[in-house]
Amino acid sequence: MAQVPAQTIHRDPQLFGWILLPITLVMILTGILRHYASVLLQTAPKRLDQKTMREQRSLLHGINVRGNFHVLSRPSFIARREALTAAYESGAYLKDPERRGQPPANPMSDPSSMEGMMGMMKNQMAMIIPNTLIMSWINAFFSGYVIMKLPFPLTIKFKSMLQAGVATRDMDPRWMSSISWYFLCIFGLQSVFNFILGDNNAASQMAQQMGQMGPQTGQMFGPGVDPDKQFLGEVENLAVIEHYSVLDGVEQRLLEGINV
Amino acid sequence: MAPSLLHPPSQLSPGEALQLSQQAPTVLQNSPSTISSSPLAALLPSSETPDLWIKYENLLLSCLRTGDERAAHQCLERLVARFGNDNERVMALKGLVQEADAQNNGELEKILKEYDQILGDNNTNIPITKRRIALLRSMDRLPEAASSLVQLLGFSPTDAEAWSELADIYLVQGMYQQAIYAMEEVLVLAPNAWNVHARLGEMQYMAATAPGVASGTYEKSMAEAIKRFSRSIELCDDYLRGYYGLKLVTKKLLKDAGKPAKESEGEFSLPDSKTVERLNELATAKLSEIIRRSTAQERGWRGYDKLEVAAARELLVEEASAAAAIER
Amino acid sequence: MTWISKTITALGGLLLAHACYSAQEHSSLQSFRATAATLASSTPAAASLPIDIAIETVVATFIIVLGLVTGTRPLRPIQWRVWAGKLEREGVEGFMGNDGEMNRDYVGNPFRSLETRPGFIDIRKQRKEFANWVKSGGRSEAK
Repeated sequence: MAQVPAQTIHRDPQLFGWILLPITLVMILTGILRHYASVLLQTAPKRLDQKTMREQRSLLHGINVRGNFHVLSRPSFIARREALTAAYESGAYLKDPERRGQPPANPMSDPSSMEGMMGMMKNQMAMIIPNTLIMSWINAFFSGYVIMKLPFPLTIKFKSMLQAGVATRDMDPRWMSSISWYFLCIFGLQSVFNFILGDNNAASQMAQQMGQMGPQTGQMFGPGVDPDKQFLGEVENLAVIEHYSVLDGVEQRLLEGINV
Repeated sequence: MAPSLLHPPSQLSPGEALQLSQQAPTVLQNSPSTISSSPLAALLPSSETPDLWIKYENLLLSCLRTGDERAAHQCLERLVARFGNDNERVMALKGLVQEADAQNNGELEKILKEYDQILGDNNTNIPITKRRIALLRSMDRLPEAASSLVQLLGFSPTDAEAWSELADIYLVQGMYQQAIYAMEEVLVLAPNAWNVHARLGEMQYMAATAPGVASGTYEKSMAEAIKRFSRSIELCDDYLRGYYGLKLVTKKLLKDAGKPAKESEGEFSLPDSKTVERLNELATAKLSEIIRRSTAQERGWRGYDKLEVAAARELLVEEASAAAAIER
Repeated sequence: MTWISKTITALGGLLLAHACYSAQEHSSLQSFRATAATLASSTPAAASLPIDIAIETVVATFIIVLGLVTGTRPLRPIQWRVWAGKLEREGVEGFMGNDGEMNRDYVGNPFRSLETRPGFIDIRKQRKEFANWVKSGGRSEAK
C-alpha cells in the first residue's frame, strides 16, 4: 500500500495577494453594486385604477366563493351564485365593457404591459452585464494557471469544476484555477451578501431564479389574458358546484366528537 | 404584564392602553429619531426592522387614545420622515391624528373635505377610504357610511375587514338580513375564523329574537344560530363564546318548545328537541368546567377574558335559580 | 431538555466516542501489523473492523437519537381546533418561552382583527371612553 507521493507545484506566493483576493473583492463589490443598481432601476409598482382593481378583485371574489362555498347555507350560496353569474356574464365587472369579444390587445403595443417587460429586462441586464464583464476580465488576465490548492482531498469528479481552463489530465483535483474560483464566488457569496445587505437583497440571484420559475400570481392578470374569458370560465366553475354545507349535521358531529 | 407593542391595540382595555402609552418615552428615546433611507446607512449595522414601524404605529394609536398628543405627533413625524407624505398608510394615520385633535364638528367637516379631496386625486386609496367611512360613522351619519362602504366593496369585494364593518353598521341599524349577508361574505374570505362563526351565530340569534319576526324566519334563524355556534366550537376547542351562545340559544328553544319544526327544502331546520336538550347539557357542562378552571387559575386556563367568564357564570346561575324556583 | 434525556444523550455520546477510539486503535494496530508483515514478507491480514465496534457505533447512534427525541419540547398542535382552543384557553401564556419572553411569532387570534377592524378605528369614541375611564378612577384596572 504505497502512498502516491503528493503532487507539489511551486507557486509564486504572491498569487494569493494579487489574484485570489482581487477576484473575491471584485465579486463582492459587483454584488453590492448590482444590488443598488437594481434598487435604482426599480420602478414603483404601478398604481391600479379603480376599474382594473374591480376587475381583478371581482374575479378573486368569485374564486373565493367557489372555494369556500361550504361555509354558506344553501339559499345564500345560490343567491350569491346567481348574482355572480349574472354579473360575470353581462360583463359588469369588465374594465372596458365595449371591448368585449375582441381579441386581446397585443401585449407589445400596450404600454402598461411594456413597462412590466422592461422591468424584467432591466433586472436581467443588471445580472448579465457585470457577470460577462468580469468573466472576460478574468479570462483575459488570469487564465491558464492554477492559483491555489484546496486543503482537503477531492475525487476526480471535481476536476472539471475546479480546473476549468487548465487542461491537464493528471493533475490532482485539489488544484484550482482562477476561473473556477470565480465560479465558486458566484455561487458561494450568497451568505456574504445576506450579511452585508440584509435578507432578500437584489443581489441574490437564487431568488431571481426562483422568481422566474414560478410567476403564477402574475400570470393570472398578466397582459394578454382576456378577463372576459376568465369570468366566463369562472361562471362555469360556479355552475358545476354541488353545494353542501359544513353546517349540515354539525350538532351531531359536535355531540359525538366532544366528551365532557 | 404589558401587552406587546407589535399587535394592533384596538381591542385593549383602557388600563392596558395606558400602560402601552406610558412606554412611549422609552421607545421614542431608544430608537434613533431619523432613519435615513440612503444606501450608505443600509451598509451600517444599525438595523431597521419592520417591527419598529409597526411599533410606532401602535404606539401612535395608544397615545392618541390616552390623550398623549406630544408622543403621538412624534411617532407620526418619524413615520412621515421615513415613508414620506404620500404613503397611503401614513396618510390614514395623519388623518387619524387630525380627527383626534379636532375640537368641534366644523373641523371634522374640514377633515372630511380633505379626505374627499385625496380620494378625488386617487380613488383607490383604500386606507383613506376607510378613514372617511369611520369618520362618517363617528359623526353619526350611518346611511352615508354604509353607502360609501358598499361603494368600496363594489370595487374591492375581497376586503374582509370592510365587509365586517358593513355588517356592524347594518346591525346597529337593525337591518339583520343585510348584516348577516355581509358577515357571510367575511366567512367566504376567512372560512375558518371561529370568532366570525360565533359572531354570525349571535347575529342570527339577534335576528330571531328581534320584535316582530315571522315564525318561519324565527325558526330558520334559530336553527342557523345553533349551527353557527356549533361550528365555532368545532373549529376551536373550549371556545367560551361559542358555548355561551349555544347555551343561550338552546335555553330559549327549550323554553318555548313544543312547536314542531317545519321541514323546508334546502334550508336548515331545527334539530329535534332531544338533540337540543343534549346540546344544552353539553354547553352547561363545558361552561361550568371553563368557569371552574378559569376561576381557579389553573395552568393553561388563564387566557379567558374575565368579563366573559363572569357573564357565563351569571347565565348559569340564573338558570339554576330559575330551575330551583320551578321545583319549589 | 430534562436531565433524563441529557443523561441518555451523554451516555450515547460516551459510547460513540469509545467506538471511535476503538476503531482508531484498531486501525493503528493493523497498520503496525502490516508493516511487520511486510518486513517478514508474508501475506497481510485482512484489515476489516471487528463487528463489536460496528455494533457499538450503531447502538451509540440510536441512544443519542433516543436522548434527543425524549428531550424535545412538546410538539405544536397541528389540528386546527386544538390550536385554536389553545389560543383561547391559554392566551398569551401558552406561547411564552421558558425565559418569560413572548414567542416572536405569537399573533393571538389571527381573526380578531376582523372584529376589531383597525382600519375603521373610531378614535374620537375611544378617547371619550378613555376619558370616562380615567374620570371613574380607573376602576376596571383590576380586569
